[in-house]
Amino acid sequence: MGILEDAVSSAATTRTLSCGVRRILDQAGVAAAAATTGLTLRQIEIAALRQEIIPERYLRNFDSYSYEQQIRLLEASVFMVGLGGLGGHLLELLARAGVGAITAVDGDVFEPHNLNRQLLSSMDFVGRPKAEAAALRVAAINPSVRFLAHHSYLEVATDGAVADPKLREALESATVVVDALGGLKDRLGLQNAAARADLPLVTAAIAGGSGFVATVLPGHPGPADFLGAGDADEDQLGTPAPAVALTASLQANEVLRILRGKGPSLAGKMLLFDLTANTFETVTL
Amino acid sequence: MIITLKAFATLQKYMPEHADAYEVPEGTTVQELLDRLGLSDDQVRLVFINGAHVSLQAVIAEGDRLGLFPAVGGG
Repeated sequence: MGILEDAVSSAATTRTLSCGVRRILDQAGVAAAAATTGLTLRQIEIAALRQEIIPERYLRNFDSYSYEQQIRLLEASVFMVGLGGLGGHLLELLARAGVGAITAVDGDVFEPHNLNRQLLSSMDFVGRPKAEAAALRVAAINPSVRFLAHHSYLEVATDGAVADPKLREALESATVVVDALGGLKDRLGLQNAAARADLPLVTAAIAGGSGFVATVLPGHPGPADFLGAGDADEDQLGTPAPAVALTASLQANEVLRILRGKGPSLAGKMLLFDLTANTFETVTL
Repeated sequence: MIITLKAFATLQKYMPEHADAYEVPEGTTVQELLDRLGLSDDQVRLVFINGAHVSLQAVIAEGDRLGLFPAVGGG
C-alpha cells in the first residue's frame, strides 16, 4: 500500500449502517490525510473513494451515487454564468454534492429586490458583489471544491468566442456549462459559447409560476433560439422564490446527472412547468 | 372539433373559460387559433402540439393538446 492509500485507510473508521457496513472518512480524517501527504482535500476524497471509503460529508449521496460516480463529480468542472436566483441555489447544490471545480461569473452586486429569492443575498451584503458572497459560501460549506468566482460579465462575440482569455480557458476546460442568467439578453451568446467549446449547456428560466429547464447539445437548437433577446414575462410576473428554487433543483439534477456519466435527460427537450396549476410536462424542441 | 389549451406565464390571461375542451373549426391552423385568442405571434414564442414543437402553419387536429409558451427569461 502506498503512502496516500495508507494515510486514507488508517484515518477511516468502519460503521454499520442500515444500508450495510461502510468505511467512512470524517472531515478531520480528510484534513489529517491532506496534511500528511501534502495533497488537497479533494484529492484525498478521491483517493478514499477509490478504496471504497466514503468521505462522511458525502455519506447521504450513497447509494444514489456510486463510488465511481462520486469520483466523477469530484473530478468534474462546471462553468456557470449568473449567481442570482438560479445561480445561488445551483451553486449550493453543486458544491454540497461534491463537484470538484466550479467557475462562476457574475458582475452584479446585490440589490434589495434580490432578497425575495437569492440564496446568496443577505441584508449586510446589499451593495456588495455576488461573486464575493459566493466565494464565502462555498468555502463555508465545502472547502474541497476548487471555486473561482469572477466579479465581471461574460462577453461573448456572435461566433461564440469568449472575449476574456482567462474565462475562455475556464469555459473550455469545463465538463458542463450552466446558464443561470437573468433576462434573455445574454442567453444566446452563452449557448453559442458552449457550442463552440463543444460542451453541453443546461439552461433554465422562470416568470411567475411558469418556467423551463433544458439541455442544449452543441450544434442543436435551444430555447434561446426561440425566446428572443428582449423583454420577457418576468418583468410583469416577477420571480417568486419557490419557482426559482424548484427550477435550480431541476437544473442541478440534470447537471449532476451529466457529470455522473448518466447522460442528459433533457437534451433537445424542455421540461415545462406551471406552479399555478402544478403541472409538469416534457416537450421536444 | 375539441382541443385542449395550456398556456404559460402572461399568456394564461388569454385563455378561454373552458381551455381543456375548446371548440375550433376543422382545419384550424395554429396562426388562426392565436388570432381567435387575441394573441400576436410576438407574444407566443413556442407552440407545442402533443408535446412537439410546431410552426404557426401547423394544422390542428381533433383532440390535440396545444401548449403556448411566451418569452420567459427570469433567474
